[in-house]
Amino acid sequence: MASFLRLLASERLKLSKSYIWLLVPLSPLLSLAIGLLVSLDTMDTTWKYGNYAILVTAMASFHAMLFLPVLTGIFSAFVCRYEHGGGGWKMLLSLPVSRTALFFAKFTVVASLLAVTQLLFLAAVFVAAAYQGIDGTIPWRLLLTGIGGGFLACLPLAALQMLVSVGWSSFAAPLAINVALTVPNMLIINSKTFGPLYPWAQPMLAMLWYGEEDFGSLALPMENIVITILGSFAVFLAAGLLYFNRKEQA
Amino acid sequence: MNNWVIETKGLSKLYRGRYAVSNLNLKIKKGDIYGFLGPNGAGKTTTIRMLLGLIKPSKGSVHIFGQPLEKERLSILRKVGSLVEYPSYYGHLSAIDNLEAIRRIIDAPSAKIDEVLNIVGLSKDARRPVKGFSLGMKQRLGIASALLGNPELLILDEPTNGLDPSGIQEIRELIKQMPKQHGITVLLSSHLLSEIELTAGTVGIIRHGELVFQDTIERLHRQAHEQGTLSLVVSEPEQAVAVLQEQGLGVSLMNNVILLKHIPDAAIAQAVKRLVERNHAVYRIEEKRQSLEQLFLQIVGEGGRP
Repeated sequence: MASFLRLLASERLKLSKSYIWLLVPLSPLLSLAIGLLVSLDTMDTTWKYGNYAILVTAMASFHAMLFLPVLTGIFSAFVCRYEHGGGGWKMLLSLPVSRTALFFAKFTVVASLLAVTQLLFLAAVFVAAAYQGIDGTIPWRLLLTGIGGGFLACLPLAALQMLVSVGWSSFAAPLAINVALTVPNMLIINSKTFGPLYPWAQPMLAMLWYGEEDFGSLALPMENIVITILGSFAVFLAAGLLYFNRKEQA
Repeated sequence: MNNWVIETKGLSKLYRGRYAVSNLNLKIKKGDIYGFLGPNGAGKTTTIRMLLGLIKPSKGSVHIFGQPLEKERLSILRKVGSLVEYPSYYGHLSAIDNLEAIRRIIDAPSAKIDEVLNIVGLSKDARRPVKGFSLGMKQRLGIASALLGNPELLILDEPTNGLDPSGIQEIRELIKQMPKQHGITVLLSSHLLSEIELTAGTVGIIRHGELVFQDTIERLHRQAHEQGTLSLVVSEPEQAVAVLQEQGLGVSLMNNVILLKHIPDAAIAQAVKRLVERNHAVYRIEEKRQSLEQLFLQIVGEGGRP
């Protein structure tokens, strides 16, 4: 555990002087713009959670469907990029560190960047809500399950992207794979059969609520999402760790 | 427990059906500077990667500090500093931050950073981003990183690559001091004999993945000496050749110069005496020593595979 924390401190230093932080507020800012521009009056306000649900659904549509999964890939590729670039892997792995701890340290960095992104999104929701003049109690439970669920739903993707990014010294290739797997979201989300099973669609399923509306897989209960998230997380993480531990460090 | 710092037994690495390293039995003793020599592609870096646990041997075993590497990798690596092939660095960080990134992992004292920067002579460039460094400076930074953890064993793969002659000289002096001042054992690889010759106590020569020589540098010198030739210039060389052949010496004649394989002093004295007895005038006896470089080239060149 101590060695994991030391690795984490080292990763933090490497990241602190990089440009990756500029990417973190990008999607929340875009969502904020949507939140400010969306007109709540034209929407059907009979939804169970009222205006908040409409606002969040509008704001999260691009964020959860596209940006969050794509950012997951970018973050993962980024924490591996500076190792591939300067021969960092062989130096790191010649130090007294376990490969598993190193993998988790990098994974933790990716997860932290995602968590910050989600927190900024939450802040964007509040700003937009204030601007739109939505009053009434804040549906904390709903907001936190949605935003937290979106975060958790990205972890399996992060695990898979770590596997791909560790294996591939190219920065673009893992991203291309990630985008190629994210784009079908737009179709898959409408499918009751595949939607609940497709890992890349989970952030969206977690973050968008249409209440009792029957709209493809979006009407599914949270339990379904959790099972898919946990299942894919276990598989991708195990594959990543196995691969990284056995990798020949050439 | 024996006193070998590094000992490999039958160490082999198979790459796509071909042995990059084959049946290597390295023995490196404590406090020594071991020069690991071989042409490019002979298997030096592959061997070093196996010693550091970066890749797994196909066959054979590695013991470092008397402990099996496979089981005790972390506790062994805690006492090893290394620089593998080209230097590793994070271009967007300064030299100090590069070292700090490592220091945080190995938990070395902060003061050590200044100390190692000073040792490799990078103190005044320490705050610049490393991406602007020359290869030689990156190489020094790599050596600084290797020294950061106060290692007992230093594994340096071609550490003087990319350095200018004065830099090479500096690094050579630095490496020489390691065993004396800090009791550090050094494994130093190179494809240039000249670099090893002046620093190493023991030399291992690898060719096509096989260890073809492993002994002290003195032994290598002696071998070079023994493979030297004598040249004799005499009056009537043809007859003189016949006289020498009578004594059972292997001789050849080239441009009226008699060439003799290296023979003991007594045999030379005897041969000269015979020639004089037969009224040959001996004008000149010269010993042509084989340089270490020639011997090295001969060792790595002979029996070459396609």
